[in-house]
Amino acid sequence: MRIVVGQGSCGIAAGAEKVYSAIEKHLDDKSCLSITGCIGMCFLEPIVDIYDDENKLLRLVRVKEDDAEKIAEATKNGDLSLLENLKISPEDEEFLTKQTRIALRHCGLINPENIEDYISDDGYQALRKVLETMSPEDVIEEIKVSGLAGRGGAGFPTWFKWNAARKAEGDEKHLICNADEGDPGAFMDRAVIESDPHNLIEGMLIGAYAIGAKEAVVYVRAEYPLAIVRLERAIKQAQAKGLIGENILGTDFSCSFRIKAGAGAFVCGEETALIESLEGSRGMPRLKPPFPAEAGYWHKPSNINNVETFANVSWIILNGGEAFSAMGTEDSKGTKVFALTGKIRRGGLVEIPMGKTLRDVIFDIGGGIRNDATFKAVQMGGPSGGCIPENLLDTVIDYKKLGATGAIMGSGGMVVMDENTCMVNMAKFFLDFTAKESCGKCVHCRIGTKRMLEILARIVEGNGKDGDIELLEELCYGIKDGALCGLGQTAPNPVLTTIKYFRDEYVAHINDKKCPAKECTNLLIYSINPEKCVGCSLCSKKCPADAISGEIKKTFSINTEKCIKCGQCKAVCRFGAVEVN
Amino acid sequence: MSCCNCQNSDLSLLDKVLKNYKNTKGSLITVLQKAQEIYGYLPTDVIYRIAEEMSLTPAKVMGVATFYTQFRFKPVGKYLIMLCQGTACHVNGSERIEKAIKEELGISDGETTDDGLFTLKNVACLGCCSLSPVMMINEETYGSLTPEKVKTILKNLKEGEK
Amino acid sequence: MSTIKFTIDGKEIIAENGITILEAATKNGIEIPTLCYHESVALYGACGICTVEAEGIPKLLRACSAKVSDGMVIHTNSERVKKSRKIALELLMSDHTGDCVGPCSLNCPAGTDCQGYVKLISEGKFHEAVALIKEKLPLPASIGRVCPHPCETACRRQMVEESISIAYLKAFAADEDMKENAFVPEVAEDTGKKVAIIGGGPAGLTAAYFLRTKGHSVTVFDAMPEMGGMLRYGIPEYRLPKKVVAAEVNQIASLGVEMKNKVKIGKDITLEDLRNNYDAVLVAIGAWNSMGTRCVGESLDGIVGGIDFLREVNMGAKPDIGKKVAVVGGGNTAMDACRTARRLGAEEVYVIYRRTRDEMPAEKIEIDEAEEEGVKFKFLTNPAEYVGENGKVKQIKLQIMELGEPDSSGRRSPVPVEGKFEYLDVDTVITAIGQKVNVKGFEELELNSRGIISADEKTFRTSVEGVFAVGDATNKGASIAIEAIGEAEKASKVIDGYLLGMEIPYRKPFVSEKIVTPEMLADKEKIARAKMPVRKAEERVKTFDEISLGFTKEQAMKEASRCLRCGCHDYHDCKLIKYANWYDIKPERFAGMKNIFPKERKLVSIERDQSKCILCGLCVRVCDEVAKKGILGLIGRGFTTTIKPEFKNDDVISFCKDCHKCVDACPTGALKIIEE
Repeated sequence: MRIVVGQGSCGIAAGAEKVYSAIEKHLDDKSCLSITGCIGMCFLEPIVDIYDDENKLLRLVRVKEDDAEKIAEATKNGDLSLLENLKISPEDEEFLTKQTRIALRHCGLINPENIEDYISDDGYQALRKVLETMSPEDVIEEIKVSGLAGRGGAGFPTWFKWNAARKAEGDEKHLICNADEGDPGAFMDRAVIESDPHNLIEGMLIGAYAIGAKEAVVYVRAEYPLAIVRLERAIKQAQAKGLIGENILGTDFSCSFRIKAGAGAFVCGEETALIESLEGSRGMPRLKPPFPAEAGYWHKPSNINNVETFANVSWIILNGGEAFSAMGTEDSKGTKVFALTGKIRRGGLVEIPMGKTLRDVIFDIGGGIRNDATFKAVQMGGPSGGCIPENLLDTVIDYKKLGATGAIMGSGGMVVMDENTCMVNMAKFFLDFTAKESCGKCVHCRIGTKRMLEILARIVEGNGKDGDIELLEELCYGIKDGALCGLGQTAPNPVLTTIKYFRDEYVAHINDKKCPAKECTNLLIYSINPEKCVGCSLCSKKCPADAISGEIKKTFSINTEKCIKCGQCKAVCRFGAVEVN
Repeated sequence: MSCCNCQNSDLSLLDKVLKNYKNTKGSLITVLQKAQEIYGYLPTDVIYRIAEEMSLTPAKVMGVATFYTQFRFKPVGKYLIMLCQGTACHVNGSERIEKAIKEELGISDGETTDDGLFTLKNVACLGCCSLSPVMMINEETYGSLTPEKVKTILKNLKEGEK
Repeated sequence: MSTIKFTIDGKEIIAENGITILEAATKNGIEIPTLCYHESVALYGACGICTVEAEGIPKLLRACSAKVSDGMVIHTNSERVKKSRKIALELLMSDHTGDCVGPCSLNCPAGTDCQGYVKLISEGKFHEAVALIKEKLPLPASIGRVCPHPCETACRRQMVEESISIAYLKAFAADEDMKENAFVPEVAEDTGKKVAIIGGGPAGLTAAYFLRTKGHSVTVFDAMPEMGGMLRYGIPEYRLPKKVVAAEVNQIASLGVEMKNKVKIGKDITLEDLRNNYDAVLVAIGAWNSMGTRCVGESLDGIVGGIDFLREVNMGAKPDIGKKVAVVGGGNTAMDACRTARRLGAEEVYVIYRRTRDEMPAEKIEIDEAEEEGVKFKFLTNPAEYVGENGKVKQIKLQIMELGEPDSSGRRSPVPVEGKFEYLDVDTVITAIGQKVNVKGFEELELNSRGIISADEKTFRTSVEGVFAVGDATNKGASIAIEAIGEAEKASKVIDGYLLGMEIPYRKPFVSEKIVTPEMLADKEKIARAKMPVRKAEERVKTFDEISLGFTKEQAMKEASRCLRCGCHDYHDCKLIKYANWYDIKPERFAGMKNIFPKERKLVSIERDQSKCILCGLCVRVCDEVAKKGILGLIGRGFTTTIKPEFKNDDVISFCKDCHKCVDACPTGALKIIEE
């Protein structure tokens, strides 16, 4: 019998560590207790997996500290029926069974802190195969056959970049992993590093072999302390096993490995900015050309790939590029991991083959909208992406098709919004993000995003002017054309897509001074429906602005002049008498 | 820099870090991170010391330090509240959480309470989107927050200090 | 190295492989704007102004870094490129805080470079000052004496104490210049084109000066015996001596301008004759008829129009006006008339004005001086009727007025107090309430609803081909001389273009302006404005001698040194403003938060005005890469990024002191060398 507690950041935040300690306290034989990473069913955390002696799995979900004793008891007795009420429901199980996992294949199943777990599941076999039987050109060819494209967002063919770096002149070459996962709403890279660090290391070593690099660096964002700790541990373990360092697996191939922690700058996800940051400078993007493959880190040929990209590599080597390219569409091969969040019923990590539809992911796997609200849009690609409306839910997941909507595949963030999300405010949220994260180098991004934010701010505050939509559009196209790097060039996307699909919401804010989603406080008017009000006075007691008056047992009313629109009256009213317009 | 007690730092604490890194090309950010671990923030004299030891100009070191949000130039409170500003948190009401913190502690983004206990910092996505809205206090993550929940957490921390 | 073939803006170019678009364009005389590019430092790519379009490439390319490839077809000025650059410049300008030129120049209808010549005067460089003035205004001695100086009205020094005495300084410089080695402009080679200018007043003379210096042959026709127009015939000798006007007219004549007096259009020669014999005609006839008061009895003897009266006196007559004179009106003409009347011996001179002193349009100094000379003001009165005896005016019936609601101009409008009148015995009434244009002889030209010649405000064209018009005779009618001079100067450029077969309408240049409050000037030392010494009032009324005695050199230089130098030292070299005017930008569309910083002197001999900084990073990069000092650094990020110097120790300060490479590299006026 084994008890495994899921301990990704999400699980820990949900209390997994406390659950773990509590179970530990009640167990006599503590050796049967271990941890795993993130299975991706964040909505069910903390998750405890119990494997019986036949390795049959019982998955317990939303486990609390109080359940620990019972779990320890049941495992001791071998009577798992005691735990029936904690067992995952069949519908929730579908969240996993409907997925196809390659990049995430070990996540939530193996202990990320133990290299043996990884090795026992074909770990480092791909590296061995590569080093013993393949030339760098063979590796690149295999990756070419697989059709693997950059999972960081741009979707550039991985083999092409590897090949360019391989062919670039120079003895010293660098392989860099971009783990500066900054898109708000995306956390698949974090999950991979936390849950399956060796898979990343193996993928990177293969990449380093392919391009001819003797050093591999992982640039991890500062906000991921657990990922850094687990990766550091994994590197040490791999070094101890001779998988990193000189003459790896007894071959001529040598490669060192290190981690560089970012320091908080979204723009460092842009590859030339990342290089600047690696060099210890301000993370401001460089002009391209030259591209990193010609002159990157310390102006040496460099190749940069995202975590998820590397996470696919060992699988491709072991199973063959054709097996990978058999999945997906004409344009996009293999699988893609999405971080499904927002107003979704079942949120977490979803890996599916390219070619499925957005509807498949959101409704079939994610279970649709929480609290039976209505789907309004899904935001894809973070600050560089856009909002896709209901009528495009059948869009096929593939780089081109998603791009055609005005959004992008991006790194895989999918934030689902319902009818209560204001799309103008959403656009403002993203512009606020990009404006804050703009490095300040180029004019279009530095001043342009600020000006867009100011215009959006005045619209949601009810001060929008006639012509503001057109002005925004003009700015959008200007910034797209003029900004120096990808962050700036794509910053207008959230605005352009919301204008494209939800123009009426903009018009309502500007012309009618109304927020249809009832989110923009400045545009709301609170009132009490006299037919529903019973005169309990609770709202007037709660009102911090002293804006509600009336007599007990008669109806109360709100003085709109005084009302600060905090919404507390609505929250406390038990009769639904407070209405917002 | 116009900050207060930044000219009297014990610079010897830096020696080991500088010894390890000063000859490693491109390690400025790492050195700054280590320095911040030591001092809790980056006092001006520390910045100048780093510049001197690493043969960089103070302008360059300041430029790098002010570029990244991780670096601070003022001491932070005992409890550093990092409030996630990710999309999922936004959609699930992080603005209300920020308001609740402000109501409970009277501080806004970047500010520290007068008693030096709490500092509030809005941060980029913490990656716990499924638990949104989320905040981290020091190393601990708190998810699925509501204004009431936040206030209770903060009250408990305050209580514990008494 | 191999060569490649490509085209830029349709021009086929062969160049060595590896060249950037910017290099290729520059070598072939095609100017691509750049702000953050500098040949001595590494490429940066921040400004986004150098973008160009290449066929088949969906994205715009930054010319500074993009290399030309074989067969590339590049467009540096396509609509998309222009739009992109325009937005970049608008964004830059929306966060750029500074005054390109001072408020004085901006408010001068002729756009004279007040700050520039005031500075030269403060340095004792009077000839140079006059040369600068004459780039816009060829009559500084005359105009400096009489101009109601909108420049001074706008002068920011008023926030400290009083405006700079700009107008007098101008006259002073011109007087000094004329004493010896007077400035003579260069006259371009003859173009063979002929221009006829009708009217030898300030507008006509100005146009003559500029058209002549451009090499055209110019003839000025004027109906009066002498040139000078209203300067000669409208302004009394005590304000502007005839010899001053004559001297400046002579200066213009000496450039080769032909002056023909006593020629009346429609009588001596027709407009059509001129059109047939000249390549262009400029009508600058002014407004020489007095406006009537429309009162009963206006046709009585002894009632005379203000400008008619002044003209008569200026032509040497000594009209008998009796002892009691009433002047109707509150403008400068009324002041000139009442003070002239005093000098002609009138003992009681009244100014009849329907509002109060505060609303008088005349210059304050004119009103004060008139009062000193014994002129009496009857405010809140208005002629209701002129009462005559034997056909000659004897008395005015005055309607008593009071002030009502403010009108559109903001002035409170006078309202009659019903039934309240007063009577004033008079020998002469001078009505100075306005001027009309006499369009006799110009019947072919289209007039506006007020009977004034219509001229396009940008091209100065009239309804007749080849005939242009400026000044008091056009559009809004009579105004101040400097206004007419401004139009004439602009029109001369348009006419020059026309003569060369081009249409170049006047376009108001875009300039950056900043809002300044008195608090921002609180640290300035208060220095009183130099007072122009004048003759004593009791002496003044006895003669027509010029009442101003003039500044001494020391006074003038000291007065000039009071200037706050609001305008940017870099205006003429600033790349930002140059490009802003290429693309007709409208940054107010993007008005929002601005990064504003106080000026700073940390760099020892350099003043940094970070509010003007466009973050091209050149100072930082030049200091780092060329000077190898690394004193300056980019601080912060995003919209609030700024540049700050950080000194490690005192050694660096002396190290910094005199390289000034950052100043040279700065494309705007954010950095300025302090001369000590």
